[in-house]
Amino acid sequence: MTRSLPDQSLGPEWTILELLARGIIDDSEVQMVRDLLTTDTMKWGELLEQALRHKMFPMLAHQIMSASLRFDVPTNIYMHLESALEWNRWQIEVFRRETVRVAQALADRGIPFVVTKGMAFESTLYDSLGTRYMNDIDFMITPRDRDKVMTVMQELGFRPFFDWAKDARREEISSRLNPDHLPKLAREIDQPGIRLIDIDIANSLTWTKSPFDVPVEEALENPVEQPIPGMSGVSIPCFRPIYQFLFTVLHLFREAWLQKFVESGTDVGLMKFGDVIRLIDRNQNKLTDSELLRIMQTHGVTDAVAWVLRHMDETFHTHAVELLALEKHGNEKLLRSQMRSPGYVNAWSESMRGRLQSKSRGSVQPVAPAHRGS
Amino acid sequence: MDDITTQFEECLRRHLRSAKPNPINYDVELVQLGLDSMTAVAVLMDMEKTFGIRFPDDMLVEGTFRTAGRLKEAVQLLRERQAS
Repeated sequence: MTRSLPDQSLGPEWTILELLARGIIDDSEVQMVRDLLTTDTMKWGELLEQALRHKMFPMLAHQIMSASLRFDVPTNIYMHLESALEWNRWQIEVFRRETVRVAQALADRGIPFVVTKGMAFESTLYDSLGTRYMNDIDFMITPRDRDKVMTVMQELGFRPFFDWAKDARREEISSRLNPDHLPKLAREIDQPGIRLIDIDIANSLTWTKSPFDVPVEEALENPVEQPIPGMSGVSIPCFRPIYQFLFTVLHLFREAWLQKFVESGTDVGLMKFGDVIRLIDRNQNKLTDSELLRIMQTHGVTDAVAWVLRHMDETFHTHAVELLALEKHGNEKLLRSQMRSPGYVNAWSESMRGRLQSKSRGSVQPVAPAHRGS
Repeated sequence: MDDITTQFEECLRRHLRSAKPNPINYDVELVQLGLDSMTAVAVLMDMEKTFGIRFPDDMLVEGTFRTAGRLKEAVQLLRERQAS
């Protein structure tokens, strides 16, 4: 997708992260990032904090290393960035091995599944550079296989994450009330720098009783086999591009539209939009034929997809709504809304750009009384 | 068993904004009193702590707390089970 250079009204630190999130595509952007990084007024504390908040620390580190800015960055910061990038690459290697271990166990039992999010994107959208940060490994299964998968995971040494949570009972109740995922699972491992491996297994593309959803059984049909870098002949099943796009967009919608993620400080970040931009860039032909639109209309998710793409276009100067022919979808009322509880939707006035940059999103209050949503 | 109404309502009022200034209508859906997925967790945990009960897995479903009436029945049932 073509896009204009971002305006710099939110400061050089934020502009750098916006450019990195959406992906550097030409020499003018390379030069812009370089110029911004070497500006005299650079606030390194702000840049590093925002990079951490948006899970972009390894990506920022890689950009600085690859631009040969060794002597333009304060030495201590440079060294820390270098270590962080190396550590992220190591964690990805460990995660890859664990992904294959779990994937083989599920495949051996004949359970349909795909690997999603960071592990799927790291090699396809981020060129296996070790720059895509991930907290955990994500899988998608069907609801009917929940018990079978839980048994397999326990055989592999995983236990519900409650045991390690700050408030085990809170985690347990929350997990039971939201059966769109299995309880988060974890396993202790004996690897330098990595104590636990977390696995998140979803059985819905969105959330329990979501008004916007695509049947997971349909999405899991005909997965594509994706090679694992550094492991010859080994591959993992991933969504085919249309469903990869739908899942990624709807997942972003979930985290951005549901108020609970805002309040818990785990809502949308720059990299989630970065994933969507890259997915469109790399699969443009497959996403712009009529099949995607037909699937979205069949399942009534067009407005939710348009919600994400409109906010993305406003924030990153992309043209995704036009590219995917969604100009007539996602009305202003929906665009400026946030779901507080089932059926109740608040109006929400802040721009997505302002929200992404804000460090106190939980304090954002609705601007109008709650009303019954459709 | 003791009447739990006062403690039960205090517990709800601690978490539900719209329940604070008004008498609690036991037939109205709790979402109309401000319940969302996060406050639902907080309400259930507070009920467990206040009444010394534990919701079993099969009661950790939306139906248990659809209305204040349903939730109060569930709390009373668990207290009775515990007492017997």
